[in-house]
Amino acid sequence: MSEHVLNNIKTRRVVRQMTDEAVAREQVETILEAARWAPTGGNLRPIRYVVVEDPGTRRLIRLVAPGMFQKAPVLILICIDWAIIEQHRMTLSDRTSLIDVGTAAQTMMLAAHAIGLASGPVTSFSKEAIKVILNLPGSYSPEMFICIGHKAEGTRAGMRAWKKITWRDLSHWERFEDK
Amino acid sequence: MSENWVLTEAEAVELLALLITSARIQMDEPAHYGPLRLLTATERLSAMMLERSSDKSKAFLQDNIERIPEMHMAMSDVETYKSALDQLCREVAGCLLRHSELEGASP
Repeated sequence: MSEHVLNNIKTRRVVRQMTDEAVAREQVETILEAARWAPTGGNLRPIRYVVVEDPGTRRLIRLVAPGMFQKAPVLILICIDWAIIEQHRMTLSDRTSLIDVGTAAQTMMLAAHAIGLASGPVTSFSKEAIKVILNLPGSYSPEMFICIGHKAEGTRAGMRAWKKITWRDLSHWERFEDK
Repeated sequence: MSENWVLTEAEAVELLALLITSARIQMDEPAHYGPLRLLTATERLSAMMLERSSDKSKAFLQDNIERIPEMHMAMSDVETYKSALDQLCREVAGCLLRHSELEGASP
């Protein structure tokens, strides 16, 4: 089981080119159900998801999202509902909810990969334009799209790594010595 | 220059949306994403223009659609990226010449 989970983590890739093939409703629900289990600071759950399948709406979203190279059949927008943050008297500058966006995003992408779907995150979009296009409630701030679909053959390659890294390059054991 | 219309109003508005939103998001993104956004706009404009464009532009536009996505992936190799952009500059200059009164002059 743990080997399966680790393998899922290591084999997931950001996919920038997808086919038109539809994604089944149950699959989308599986991904949303997984997101519900993502860790959230203070167990506040300020994250809300907006699923967009309508082709016309997806097209408009792509027009204000220069970083969205995918023409994905399903877009899941991760939003922070700031009304929830305020209800719990958290400060609006609190960064915990942004971390929640990250845990939700990774959980959804791993869930998508586990059921044979491709995914890719997009943050390069105009928040203000997205608010208008999706008529979002005033307390929602759109933070990240997760594009969900089926990987296209001969798919656009991922951006080349700036340099080859291993976990050792990213990790440090124990206290740093004084300089 | 040819006076053929190569964009519909809706397509032009789409391109405006891309340019305006790119300008805004660039304020929050690394400087080297600037060329990426401009090239994305170039790729999309090329795709919009392709069907209605004349033979003077067609090959250049088709090349843009095929080559620009590959160029994005090489961003981490700055010299290769610069060199690919220089090549694109030479080609757009050639395309300009084909459309200009200097047609026939060697680029």
